[in-house]
Amino acid sequence: MITLDPAILNRVLKPARYTGNEWNSVKKDHSTVAVTVALSLPDVYEVGMSNLGLKILYQILNNRTDTVAERVYAPWVDMEAEMRSHNIPLYTLETLTPVADFDIVGFSLQYEMSYSNVLNMLDLAGIPLLSAQRDENEPLIVGGGPCTFNGEPAADFFDCFILGEGEEIIEDLVEVVAAWKQGAKAHGKLGLLKNLAQIPGMYVPSLYDVAYNADGTVAEVVPNCPEARPVVTKRVVKDLNTVEYATRPVVPFLDIVHDRIMLELFRGCTRGCRFCQAGVLYRPVRERTPETLLKLAKELVDSTGYSEISLTSLSSADYSCLPAVVQSLIDEFKEENVSISLPSLRIDSFSIELAQKLQQVRKSGLTFAPEAGSQRLRDVINKGVTEQNLDDAVGAAFGAGWSSVKLYFMMGLPTETDEDVLGIAKLAYRVLDLYKQVTGRRGAKVTISVACFVPKPHTPFQWFGQDMAAEFERKQRLLKAQLRDRNITFNWHDARTSFLEGAFARGDRRLGQVLLSAWKNGARFDGWSEHFKYNVWMEAFEAAGIDPHFYATRERTLTEVMPWDHLSSGATKEFLAREYGQAVGEVLTSDCRHDQCTVCGVCQELDVKVIDGGNQV
Amino acid sequence: MARLRLEITKGEEIRYISHLDYASAIERAIIRAKLPAAYSEGFNPHMKLSFASALAVGVTSQAEYMDIEFKGDVEISQGVKRLVMALPLGIMVNSANYMPAKVPALMAIVNLATYDVLVPFTTGEFGAVEDSIRRFNEMQEVVHTRETPKGRKDIEVKQYMAGAIGATVQDNQVLLTIDIKITPTGSIKPGEVLAALVAIFDLNVDKDRALIHRTGLYVADSKTRRKPTEL
Repeated sequence: MITLDPAILNRVLKPARYTGNEWNSVKKDHSTVAVTVALSLPDVYEVGMSNLGLKILYQILNNRTDTVAERVYAPWVDMEAEMRSHNIPLYTLETLTPVADFDIVGFSLQYEMSYSNVLNMLDLAGIPLLSAQRDENEPLIVGGGPCTFNGEPAADFFDCFILGEGEEIIEDLVEVVAAWKQGAKAHGKLGLLKNLAQIPGMYVPSLYDVAYNADGTVAEVVPNCPEARPVVTKRVVKDLNTVEYATRPVVPFLDIVHDRIMLELFRGCTRGCRFCQAGVLYRPVRERTPETLLKLAKELVDSTGYSEISLTSLSSADYSCLPAVVQSLIDEFKEENVSISLPSLRIDSFSIELAQKLQQVRKSGLTFAPEAGSQRLRDVINKGVTEQNLDDAVGAAFGAGWSSVKLYFMMGLPTETDEDVLGIAKLAYRVLDLYKQVTGRRGAKVTISVACFVPKPHTPFQWFGQDMAAEFERKQRLLKAQLRDRNITFNWHDARTSFLEGAFARGDRRLGQVLLSAWKNGARFDGWSEHFKYNVWMEAFEAAGIDPHFYATRERTLTEVMPWDHLSSGATKEFLAREYGQAVGEVLTSDCRHDQCTVCGVCQELDVKVIDGGNQV
Repeated sequence: MARLRLEITKGEEIRYISHLDYASAIERAIIRAKLPAAYSEGFNPHMKLSFASALAVGVTSQAEYMDIEFKGDVEISQGVKRLVMALPLGIMVNSANYMPAKVPALMAIVNLATYDVLVPFTTGEFGAVEDSIRRFNEMQEVVHTRETPKGRKDIEVKQYMAGAIGATVQDNQVLLTIDIKITPTGSIKPGEVLAALVAIFDLNVDKDRALIHRTGLYVADSKTRRKPTEL
């Protein structure tokens, strides 16, 4: 157990990030369990504590009498400096136990820009960074979350990756580790890795060899032992009504990013937006029933004391019984002053009556995501919404008293022209004019947020060459010149951060050395603009003799072997290629939950099916 | 409407949470305990909770005071039992009483805070500590420069002292007892008094390692000190 000097805690920002004792945190005697697990998200406490997946795993693991799970997040730079200068190893919040003492350390990998923090945390823990350097006495380093569907750039540092949903496989993992420990760690670390490789959905990168072509592309990724499967396919929970949910989440003292109850309505989204990785990775759509949701909501209010419930999912307005569930939650919690909120709204399923019922009433703005500025480009990305949808939604909102609207877009989408970019400005003015038409006054506030598109693996745009940073910056200037009205606020993403994200999103194992040298030269918290050190990264690429453009901005041919071709989301490469063709042809693909099956491969390959309350009635 | 006044603690387990965090932890505990708390009206209703005095990050307390307003009647022992079960580690309930409806707010009446400050010696001996404290106690005026993100401001410390600072020795540490007035126009933090002792009176302690603990909050006049729950 670590002891913390008050002098350190008095000096750092928000010391409660490091002292634990939160409500619902679980403390167990480590000598009474078979397996100890440290669960982490490699970012600061307020971000890590907001992750729903880790809350679920924490509960599942701590429900087991043979297992303890504790939490650890990345110390902020001030605390890191204190820990290094006072030789304090990275420790967990529950029992202040050094992370190096755990059997398993799990990292939730939500975005590529957090990889440098994984290395930094391992180093702070005193754990050797490379999987090859760690023997059976070191913790097993496990990755989960969407990045594992191409974890290759981080493969050198992880012992295994979990593909897909964690509820069931996390127990398989613990059981394999417990049995291996009980069997005197037979055949050492390699013995454990081979046992793990036999769990469906578990990818052990060191059991695969990668061969490259002369042009630098991947020739093949093949298992180097019989225990490893040629293709690892994701895990998926068949019915969300019957799995454990985070009904007793840790309630933090300090304000975190999502400081409220997260009630997950459903998993998956089959709208089929072609840029969207989550839309592929989390297929198929599986709804929780209204009865399950109401029961979970009651348990959550009782166990947390939160007074806000956020109805989360990839596209909550698509939940088949949304108005009824919202009404029953409002009725249930009226006396307790618990409010209900929706994190995002789709323009085409926006209902003003619903918005008025929700907590949005108190808030000043509504947020919509048209994603692209022209109908043509929205058809390319299969977003499906029309200007009429926007007029109807925003017009209704203005009529009901809202006066500010946030619109999210991307630039750098396939086939984009300057005309499409300028279409973003046109939409912004259209919304301002609409306000005048509806209310007879001026003074609406429109915020335009434009991200730089990063092509992701396992999407129809996985072959697409990302725009160069200079091209993004040119388009940003072009748009900025058009957005001169003081009622319009224009936000944009840093093009260089998006470029680096683009390289790592579709990178291969050779990027491990880039990551290592960038970290050694001070890269960490790359997702935080004040800490992002672009030059350190470019120097690391140069030192390794690797061109980041090869990964980020190069258009691939459809026949190229991708570094992640042996990792399956269930959706086939044929389906993704077909969708890319449809995109370029500006042809829409309909949503399989309401229309015919698009044969993406998920239901066929994984023996699962869409669970949609609306279709069962 | 009934107003329950509680004497509660802020223990070692939650030493480093802020006053706002402390208040919201209690609010959530009240919801978990299913106590019928009253809320303000309006678009953004908030629970009717009020505290006597904010406690800084890094400071513990054995006696904080808080009023909760209830919509209905709650039998005290039952209500307290439920609340205690729902409170996080580090918050205990010492006492609870219903107050008469017209009683003034805690903030308006509490005018004295007492602290224990336990701090390690750096060098020297206790004689030097006694000397620093004696010189501070005898001084008519002591000016401390308060630094905040908004800027610097000179504050006269002695106007807020409710008595002489006491000093005793415990192993390698000094225990200072500091009584501070809380006035309608302001007050001073015990950490600032300690900083002035170190900077101006050469107190030979490691002030960054000080453990500050509030021992009481009182309604005081020239003769008596009463707890807000004893009015």
